[in-house]
Amino acid sequence: MAEIKLENVSYVYSEGTPFEISALEGINLTIKSGIVTGIIGHTGSGKSTLVQMLNGLVKPASGKVLIDNKDIWENPKEISKVRSRVGLVMQYPEYQLFEETVRADIAFGPKNMGVEEKDIEELVLEAADFVGLDRELLDKSPFDLSGGQKRRAAIAGIIAMRPEVLVLDEPAAGLDPSGREKIMQSIIGYGKSTGASIVIVSHSMEDMARFCDEIVVLSDGKLLMSGKKEEVFLRSKELVSVGLDIPQITSVMNMLSQSGIKVASNIYTVEDALSEIYKLF
Amino acid sequence: MKSITLGQYYPARSLMHGLDPRMKIILAFIYIICSFVAKNIISFGVLFASAFLLIALSKIPLSLILRSVRPILFILAFTVVLNVFWTKGEVILFEWKFIHIYYEGVMTALFMVVRIFVMIVGASLFLTYTITPIALTDAIEQLFGPLKKIKIPVHEFAMMMTIALRFIPTFIDETDKIMSAQKARGADFSNGSLAKRAKVLIPILIPLFVSAFRRADELAIAMECRCYHGGDGRTRMTILHYRARDFLALIAMLLFFAGLLALNFLKIGYTM
Repeated sequence: MAEIKLENVSYVYSEGTPFEISALEGINLTIKSGIVTGIIGHTGSGKSTLVQMLNGLVKPASGKVLIDNKDIWENPKEISKVRSRVGLVMQYPEYQLFEETVRADIAFGPKNMGVEEKDIEELVLEAADFVGLDRELLDKSPFDLSGGQKRRAAIAGIIAMRPEVLVLDEPAAGLDPSGREKIMQSIIGYGKSTGASIVIVSHSMEDMARFCDEIVVLSDGKLLMSGKKEEVFLRSKELVSVGLDIPQITSVMNMLSQSGIKVASNIYTVEDALSEIYKLF
Repeated sequence: MKSITLGQYYPARSLMHGLDPRMKIILAFIYIICSFVAKNIISFGVLFASAFLLIALSKIPLSLILRSVRPILFILAFTVVLNVFWTKGEVILFEWKFIHIYYEGVMTALFMVVRIFVMIVGASLFLTYTITPIALTDAIEQLFGPLKKIKIPVHEFAMMMTIALRFIPTFIDETDKIMSAQKARGADFSNGSLAKRAKVLIPILIPLFVSAFRRADELAIAMECRCYHGGDGRTRMTILHYRARDFLALIAMLLFFAGLLALNFLKIGYTM
């Protein structure tokens, strides 16, 4: 499985013009294989630029992006191979649907990779199952689906490429709570059953706390912290100072323990909080 | 994609920037006529110099202006070749087999180059570099306002133009995003035959059209929610006022026009 390493990566928008903006500065980061990594940061912190570097859509102005210790920009003509290993689901992916049927749309990625026709069908069905898309929907036009179904169809389009690393930029943005839940569960499900690593960009601390193993925090284009989620959430003051937050339930448990009730402070989900509180009785 | 600039408005504080946009449209019109008035070497010389005077007055870097002339270099070269080789005259400068180059041809070519250059520089200075696209459509609407009397929907045309201009950067952004998304799915936009490359446009164009219609729909609803009903009885946020300097500029331009006409009476060298 693939491990992605960023070495001293920087990126500048509109270089050489008066409108020059530095989007990323000196990022050193390792995205370990087989786990779920979360990337958080407020708007404009460089998250989207960072994830587009992981699959070679954006070329760093300086520094290296390594997959399994091999520089992906060593041979720029081979960059499309990287894109099939690292699948990127961009923000609001439903806006990229274009085919006549959902089936054909999901097949677009594998077809571009040169997968044989007879194997494509299987990949499409598997991908649809991963995201929980009914098989009857496959012959409909993608434009007839509901918002949540479109989102799932678009994610299936990336999963059908069977990426070793699945990167998602705000996969649940703009969905209702049950839609969020379904999307997040199916992404995690894909990682678990194939051993692929998952990278999720999100604003939601609750989602981060529930689903991620490691967390990367960006602030103004710089790496503020990265590591196990427990370590990151311990530094809540720093998170607050850059406009982020710790999960609500964690702050509730912190307040309880500060007011003398004996509960652990490293609680990140409501379920864990419940069982912790039950222990008191 | 980001490098595509439209409108090319260059923010600065200058004499040209300070003029009323309506007056700038009128001035641009007269200036273009001026470029057709010049007939002999002196009036063309004055015309050429005036273009640089305008550039200086607008405080826009010369390099930027010259860059905007670059796309028409081909047309200029074409004009030169056409005029130099095909104009017949009396004074022959060069002769070789079937090629005859006349003094008149060379001068005509030179004059045509100056004329096109002055037209392009003048129009872009008055209408794009020193005026925002929104101010331009506003000015057009007010200049052509009287046409409403003969039932021409001037306001609606201006509104359509404003909306179109407003959404160009949005669609450039959108195209960028869709291209990235399809590249992430392995689409290849740079290799392959022409037919193949035309085919890979489909995954970009269809989502782009879909989003254009979606945006149009949303915008129409948002406008209706704010009770938009066209131009009748609508007041404006920015009311344009002509000031003394606008009239001074107009007088200066008319004097320039008259001066060029007068210079044409000088009998010097080749007259076009």
